[in-house]
Amino acid sequence: MKRWIAKSIGGLAVAAFAVTASFANPYEKYKGTTIVVSWPALSHYGKAQGLIDQFTAETGINVEVDALQYLKLRDRQILEMSKPEGEYDVVTWVVMWKGEYVSKGLLTPLSQFFTSGALVDPKFDIDDIADAYLQNGGVVGGKKGYMPGKSGALYGLPFGAETSIMAYRKDILEAQGIAVPKTYDELRAAMKKLGEAGIPAMTSRGKTGHQVTAGWLLHLAPLGGKIFDDEWNPVFNNAAGVEAAQVMREIAQTGPKGIPAFGFGDAAAAFLGGDAAFYIDTLKIAAMARDPKLSKIADKVGYALHPVGSRCGSETGGFAAGIPANSQNKEAAFLFLQYITSKKGDQKMVELGGDPVRMSTYKANADKFAEYPVILEQLPCADADWRPLIPEWNELNIDVLGQALTEVITTDKPIQPIMDAAAEKARAIMEREGYYAWKDVN
Amino acid sequence: MANAAISANSSEPSAPDGDRSVAKAPRDYRNIAPYFFIAPAVFVMLVGLVYPVFDSLYLSFFDWKIGEPFSKADNVGFTNYLRMFSDPDVWESIWVTFRFGFWTITLEMFLGVTLALMLEKPIRGASIFRTIFILPLMVSPVVVGLIWRYLFDARVGWINYYLGIWFGIEPQVWLGDAELAFFAIVFTDIWQWTPFIFIIVIAGLQALPSEVLEASRIDGANWWQQIFLVKLPMISSILVIALLMRLIDVFRALEVMYIMTGGGPGRATELLSLHIYNRAFDAQLLGYASAIAVLLIVIVTVLSAGILIIGNPMKDKSDV
Repeated sequence: MKRWIAKSIGGLAVAAFAVTASFANPYEKYKGTTIVVSWPALSHYGKAQGLIDQFTAETGINVEVDALQYLKLRDRQILEMSKPEGEYDVVTWVVMWKGEYVSKGLLTPLSQFFTSGALVDPKFDIDDIADAYLQNGGVVGGKKGYMPGKSGALYGLPFGAETSIMAYRKDILEAQGIAVPKTYDELRAAMKKLGEAGIPAMTSRGKTGHQVTAGWLLHLAPLGGKIFDDEWNPVFNNAAGVEAAQVMREIAQTGPKGIPAFGFGDAAAAFLGGDAAFYIDTLKIAAMARDPKLSKIADKVGYALHPVGSRCGSETGGFAAGIPANSQNKEAAFLFLQYITSKKGDQKMVELGGDPVRMSTYKANADKFAEYPVILEQLPCADADWRPLIPEWNELNIDVLGQALTEVITTDKPIQPIMDAAAEKARAIMEREGYYAWKDVN
Repeated sequence: MANAAISANSSEPSAPDGDRSVAKAPRDYRNIAPYFFIAPAVFVMLVGLVYPVFDSLYLSFFDWKIGEPFSKADNVGFTNYLRMFSDPDVWESIWVTFRFGFWTITLEMFLGVTLALMLEKPIRGASIFRTIFILPLMVSPVVVGLIWRYLFDARVGWINYYLGIWFGIEPQVWLGDAELAFFAIVFTDIWQWTPFIFIIVIAGLQALPSEVLEASRIDGANWWQQIFLVKLPMISSILVIALLMRLIDVFRALEVMYIMTGGGPGRATELLSLHIYNRAFDAQLLGYASAIAVLLIVIVTVLSAGILIIGNPMKDKSDV
């Protein structure tokens, strides 16, 4: 009898300890696990190493990083995620690849984890993450397959997400008597004036393929254009699309030498090296401008809203992170994702020199960084339909628009026929992929 | 040992039929031996070369994207081939490749042979010059691409900098202008691959029998006549092999252009191999890319066969 009582008391004690332990540390179960993360070799992610070290110290979960040039990630990730058992536990994608990844069944829906009380931090507060970032990077299956909508599901959390703002050289504009442009008309007038003064006006991406298309898209949305209408007809060759292409041509003519060969890094380097008065692209330029290793112009840069044309419309881009369907450590991977996008992780990224994704972080640090108030004002203008994030986008982006826009910025040929020919090619691709199959049914 | 024992048995005059068959064995083994020795090489070639070629041919009849199970891929018959023959982008890439091949191979052959003729004699510092000339050959193509990409950079490149200082030439957008970008990749290829021709030719020149050269000198041949009537004809088989190898290299060149220009601006520097890569991985059209790869193999095979028919270095050794 005594032995039975002793056993019962011992058993209860062990059970109580186990319960207490599980409440005490949700990471305990995964201590010693190693997860492998695939993300880009960009400044924000380099700085995230400090956050990884903190995560490992607090949780006991080890993290190995496989960092690649950002446009090379897709090939590597698709190959890994196609295997029965992949090496990656977390993948970070450029938002334009999300539709392709999900349509091929390569990602795990995050609802699998958000339904687990043992995994989800009650203080995580997903509603605090900038909606434009969350919808654009993480939600798939909504309106047109990539925009917000009731049929959408969450596959990733934004990390390194972005919208576009304008950075400008305060000293050059002051010396030339140019006011900070608020509209595209003002911007084009300023570019012309700078060009006539022999000062390189605006830097831009312009290399054939993805880069020149990304440069053009930055102007398409504010000038009122889109790639497709609601029935997938190409409309980028309308007046707005042609005007955006004309702006690209003017930028190439008045900007720093070499724009037709500039990728993202080259365009940013031209501004940070003091060879351009304007930069309209990702907000990441601000953190780069503060980094003395990258920038010669730290104290000469001002930030303003992306100029408006017929409407306000800024980029929705950057990266989101999710969990491959063939990951072997999904729960540990979720804990990592949750940690780096938590309020604490977001604030740590700001301290490390990276970019936050939460509205509360932007607000809390608005007085410390000149660009944060601008970003808070810019985010409502972030265009969910900035580019179609469909599986076919890569081909349209690189092979069709990327070729046509190179012709625009490297020749003096009339723009309309170039864009019309590209629209025909785009239509053929959409036809091939069955986008018009419902046309005669409804 | 075993062969010795068999031979001993076969020498007996009263050997039965069974023994006679054993007596033929040594000759059979000798016949098989060459096949045995080349078997590993054949096996490696079958696995590493022939299998991928046939797999590519098979894939060219499907519409398949990486990341999707192959079982889901549609068999599209000859659709990819029909599309390829009517695709102006493919023909443009073939044209770019031929132009690139013509300029690079012509200039590399000329410069490589000239340098070899200049440095074949034991002059002071010849070994230093030879080492310097060979250095570009040892650099990885990716590194070559990066080096020249930054040298040709319009904003910070040394080429624009020194052209401006020495000749007062305005900065050029080397990699952003169709003609200049093509010149840049041709120049880079010549820089890297001329040493290859140089090594092969100088090895051939140094192996020439001194008696023949001596005889030509006694017969009164001057320096030019020695080169064009004696030396070059005697190393013609080496020149054909060098030409063939460079031709094949041109059709598989990818890394340098990928790093320097990505095939742009437009398709100005998109060689056929880079076009295939872009179709396969950017557009995810693996079946279509395979069909173009098959075309590439056909073109290289036809060109190689043509060169070998015209100047087969082994034709005098057809008994081998």
